[in-house]
Amino acid sequence: MNRTKILLFATLRDRAGGKKFIELEVPDGMTVQGLKDRIGEVFPDLKDSMRSVLVAVDREYAMDELVLQSGMEIAMFPPVSGG
Amino acid sequence: MDHPTIFRVTEETLDLDALLAQITLPSTGAAAVFTGMVRAVTSRGEARETRFLEYQAYRPMAEDKMRQIADEIRAKWPSVEGIAIVQRIGRLYPGTPTVLIACTAAHRDTGVFEAARYGIDRLKEIVPVWKKEVSPGGEEWIEGEYFPRPGE
Repeated sequence: MNRTKILLFATLRDRAGGKKFIELEVPDGMTVQGLKDRIGEVFPDLKDSMRSVLVAVDREYAMDELVLQSGMEIAMFPPVSGG
Repeated sequence: MDHPTIFRVTEETLDLDALLAQITLPSTGAAAVFTGMVRAVTSRGEARETRFLEYQAYRPMAEDKMRQIADEIRAKWPSVEGIAIVQRIGRLYPGTPTVLIACTAAHRDTGVFEAARYGIDRLKEIVPVWKKEVSPGGEEWIEGEYFPRPGE
């Protein structure tokens, strides 16, 4: 069990009060979907964002079924709008 | 000769001449360049004015995804020689170029136009960059609509 940083960008960062990351216990074996559910419980201001969030694990897009392990770099953000 | 590939997130002014020079080989005779800039007045969709845009990036992943897009371009258009993909971030005012995609090749009829078009379209799908639009009436993060598939 590790406290893991989850990087936030754009709308999510603003909704978290401007924080660049949040920290959460991420038990080994938790899936991306499980993490999204957990964030919704622990951080009510982010709950609505979890429905259409993109999750990146080790800088690759991660699907809901992916199983998380300690040491992974996790980021959450809305669909991108660069250019 | 190695084919130069430039991918970068930067807070500096985009320098088209310098970038073009870096992707021009002795065999290069054509370049297709796309650049996007901040629009002061938008009429498509809901009409509005923009004071400035504030860009944010997840920098290391953004540069990884730019490299991936360059690889995709080379797989689709093997005749492309040099590729530059550069996104500027920070606070950018109307008229300022924000992004630049350039592809070079020996000749213009080898897919360079399509390659540059593909580059900007893909950037808007998978490169983690966002813009907040600040208007006279308030501010709002612009969110895209694309949900990447596994492996993208």
